[in-house]
Amino acid sequence: MKILVCAKQVPELEGIAVHSDTEGMAVLENFGRFAMNRFDEFAVEQAVRIKESLEGVQVHAITVGPLQASQVLKRAVGVGCDEGIHLLTATDADPGSQAVAAWISEFAGSVEYDLVLCGAMSEDAMAGQVGPMAAALMDLPYATQVIGMDLASDLTQVTVEREIEGGAREMVNLSLPALLALQPGINRPRYPSLSNLLRANQKVFNTIATESLTSVRNPVDCLGLVLPKHSRAAQVITGSALEKASKVAAILKAKALI
Amino acid sequence: MMDPVEIMLVTACHKGRLDPEIYDLIAFGRKLQELGGGAMGIWILGDGVDTAAQKLTEQVGLPVAVVQGEGLSHYLTETFCAVVAQEIKALQPVFVCTGHTSRGWEWAPAVAARTGAGCICGVDGLVEFQGRLCFQRDLYGGKIKGLYASSAETTVITVQPGIFKFEPPAEISPAAPVIRKDVSCPLGSSRFLGSKKAETDSTHITSAPIIVAVGNGLGDEGNMKLVHRLAKCLPRAEVAGTRILCDRGWLEYSRQVGVTGASVTPALYLACGISGASQHVVGMRGAKFVIAINTDPAAPIFNEADVCIVEDIIQFMPLMEDAFERLAKAIE
Repeated sequence: MKILVCAKQVPELEGIAVHSDTEGMAVLENFGRFAMNRFDEFAVEQAVRIKESLEGVQVHAITVGPLQASQVLKRAVGVGCDEGIHLLTATDADPGSQAVAAWISEFAGSVEYDLVLCGAMSEDAMAGQVGPMAAALMDLPYATQVIGMDLASDLTQVTVEREIEGGAREMVNLSLPALLALQPGINRPRYPSLSNLLRANQKVFNTIATESLTSVRNPVDCLGLVLPKHSRAAQVITGSALEKASKVAAILKAKALI
Repeated sequence: MMDPVEIMLVTACHKGRLDPEIYDLIAFGRKLQELGGGAMGIWILGDGVDTAAQKLTEQVGLPVAVVQGEGLSHYLTETFCAVVAQEIKALQPVFVCTGHTSRGWEWAPAVAARTGAGCICGVDGLVEFQGRLCFQRDLYGGKIKGLYASSAETTVITVQPGIFKFEPPAEISPAAPVIRKDVSCPLGSSRFLGSKKAETDSTHITSAPIIVAVGNGLGDEGNMKLVHRLAKCLPRAEVAGTRILCDRGWLEYSRQVGVTGASVTPALYLACGISGASQHVVGMRGAKFVIAINTDPAAPIFNEADVCIVEDIIQFMPLMEDAFERLAKAIE
């Protein structure tokens, strides 16, 4: 069985600052560290668990991005994936879901994968489009928001539980090959092991320049960024930490909440 | 035959029950019309749709196409994709809109890929910018919003629920028709096996007057005790949190607030170390008063708060605990 797992490199959101420029548009600053998209960690973990539970499973991790994106492949091999495929973009500009999905499906078409796994969405773009789009382009049955999966013993089918609003679930049976976009919480992602990390450092990834793949015109453009609007008063409490705590208590008392 | 439609709203109806997002979609569609959209129609996919369709068209005055057929008695992305792609090819609408729900978000991008349409998911605003119609959506965990324009002939859009508010029209044009479309929907290989309700009971947090909610800012599981202690200082307070803590097993899923958890409406929502991604915010918007504490001044939770405090909750929670206790003693 061959599994392809998609993982994206994203900036850590924590430290990113936002402010307005003179034209009233928003600007992002302080891109610090980059890491594997948290949602994709669950897909990588799931692929490795399948590999551990069955004989003869090969797991390939794939990423689309600039040079530094190969770090996520190192992480993927570090937790147990066998190979890494880097679809290398010339710039760090976001190529858009359409292009990413098209390139992944173009590559996947050259290898016969039984299962393609990805995360529910990325932390930065938050679009959740690559999975369903790649499935459509590869003409694979697929499911998103998968919170449970059970492979049939003959590996021809998979039964999945999809998480829907309010924590309800629906069960769907899909024929393999299929693509699944996984919800966080389907497993507990592990940390890389030292031996796997050493292996990952030696690993030569299969790097393919996206220029050599079909060029995809992205019909949707981001024309600008804006700051979110306050939906409430957003009164900022100032002072020392101690003063702030007292002010909170005073507010609760005034509102008869304490 | 329906008159040509430029804005196609797509929803589902199963066992006579219409997806409630349709009203948000209509409100969104009207806004789209104000910005130059064009004729609008509603597509309802499912079974047992007729009565609901008739009622809807009488209520909103829009033409409704009822799409029923084998394979549509349950939601399956495969059949939804096939039907909507077929309608897009036949009618070439400018916009195809559906709810940004677990289902809409599942089929919409695939339909776009299959038909060569553009796709914008999770839209929560519509603006004109640089002379173009732009769709606004969250980026970077909600810290910022992007304005997206599409140059595709057809663009598929999923609309965040609860943002665009439906108002019944003052006058209903009497002629809005219901058109029945019996589609031959090729059955794919996927099978719907059934559904089940949420396994967890969230009544304790949905009925709590005060919620101390905690997020990723907690850092370490050992700090959970700070949260419980703080909650004990507040009358009838319950502890709740974001999905990430439930996924880590620090908090039971019955205490999760957000899209896949509970929606809560307490008198006070004390958001501690919560970044404020839309998936969480959806579940706490109904709170009457929100106090948010986060180290990151750019955390989107501050956009949803009445009171904002930039502090590290690990140091700040015990300070609040002391302050609340002092106050409680003074009241006694």
